[in-house]
Amino acid sequence: MRGLAIDDAAWSSRWRERAVRDKACLSLGLLLTAALLPAWPTAPIVAVTAVGLLVISAGTRTDLVLRALRGPLVFIALGCVSVAVVVDAGDGFSLTVTDDSARRAASVAGHALAGTCAMLLLAMTTPMVELLAGLRRLRVPAACVEVAGLVYRLLFVLLESLGSIRESQTVRLGYSSLSRSFRSSAMLTAAVLTRSWSRARRLEQGLAGRELSTSLRTLDDPAPSSPAFLLASAALLAVLVTTAALTTGVAR
Amino acid sequence: MHIAEGFLPPVHAAAWTVAAAPFVIHGGRAVVRQVRDNPQTKLLLGAAGAFTFVLSAIKLPSVTGSSSHPTGTGLGAVLFRPPVMAFLGTVVLLFQALLLAHGGLTTLGANAFSMAIVGPWVGYGAYRLVGRLGGGLEVSVFAAMSLADLATYCTTSMQLGLAFPDPETGVAGAVAKFLSIFAVTQIPLAIVEGLVGVLLFRILRDVARPELISLGVLKDEQPAPSDPTRTEA
Repeated sequence: MRGLAIDDAAWSSRWRERAVRDKACLSLGLLLTAALLPAWPTAPIVAVTAVGLLVISAGTRTDLVLRALRGPLVFIALGCVSVAVVVDAGDGFSLTVTDDSARRAASVAGHALAGTCAMLLLAMTTPMVELLAGLRRLRVPAACVEVAGLVYRLLFVLLESLGSIRESQTVRLGYSSLSRSFRSSAMLTAAVLTRSWSRARRLEQGLAGRELSTSLRTLDDPAPSSPAFLLASAALLAVLVTTAALTTGVAR
Repeated sequence: MHIAEGFLPPVHAAAWTVAAAPFVIHGGRAVVRQVRDNPQTKLLLGAAGAFTFVLSAIKLPSVTGSSSHPTGTGLGAVLFRPPVMAFLGTVVLLFQALLLAHGGLTTLGANAFSMAIVGPWVGYGAYRLVGRLGGGLEVSVFAAMSLADLATYCTTSMQLGLAFPDPETGVAGAVAKFLSIFAVTQIPLAIVEGLVGVLLFRILRDVARPELISLGVLKDEQPAPSDPTRTEA
């Protein structure tokens, strides 16, 4: 994905005003359902539910969801090829795909795809700053949350620097050959690193000048939890679990 | 090489989370102590974390045709030391999961174990060992960055092999399968990352000498490159 498109989607999501706790409960519930129940038919149901909620209810663009899924799908495909292939060391060395191994690979792919969709439901509806505020409310040490918050805030400056430096390197034919690419990549990394140091030092000096040497906390105004949303989420999860349990015979 | 969300069986995901937790908590406590004793360092830590994240957006020259980016585990270990990287690396992995969909929440422990713990420690160990054997800064950096990358890739393959043992050849066969399928991208990437690391440190030695001295990468008496009368650390 280009830039931080997932975070951009979260800021413009229709669910942005919903309480982090509510969205986390639904997303983690779907995640656990996908992880703990047999992949078929749970995985497709969870994946379709998560993507459906994202697109229809939260208003996330479908192409954005598909682009976000592209990276994990590459890993899932490669990983599942390894699971599907069986090494036969009996008469010489050979690789085969058996019915069992293919079924196992499909099951792993299902779990992973459904889990990724459930995670995206949280990531594409909740901006990172709200997740960090949620971690603070969960009593994660304030210094750790603060450093994580600074990482998040500095990302945008560094990504912008990275984009503009790379663009200027490209138009100066910095990536026109392998040796130039090596040198340009090293210079780009060095430039981003020194800029991050200089930015941190200037921020530190600016804050020290204002005598702000302690916490950098900003106002935290959490959205109220919605009992109706929580109830609907619980009902949805109950339906999913029951359907999966009945279909797979777990509940028989 | 981030293990995708939901890819590991729940028991394995939980076990790797438990295995990574002491290192991450130790790193987190070090960060809390450092920020309490020296509040201004949190900005540098934030910058270090942001830089580590941004590394994943830098495209490296690819030999295999696939797009690849540096893992930054070796670089982070050399610059900021492995305990800090255990915490910062985990924060960066959480951000990569939620902002880029690389990795996942249930697989955060497994990814942290390979990328924020094993990779940095192996990279830092190689950096110190080669330095002690008189390899010089550039050889040490190459060893740190490429071995950190390879260690991360081997650990991830081992995690996947343990989770999905081969029906015929068991865990060993499964690890070999995962190692060989990811080797196409990971071995060239490790070499490329090592080479780029050497060029990077050459540039940093010229433009960011004070910062490298303050981080302990170069010694204070380190010469300016144009001054042939002084020696290198």
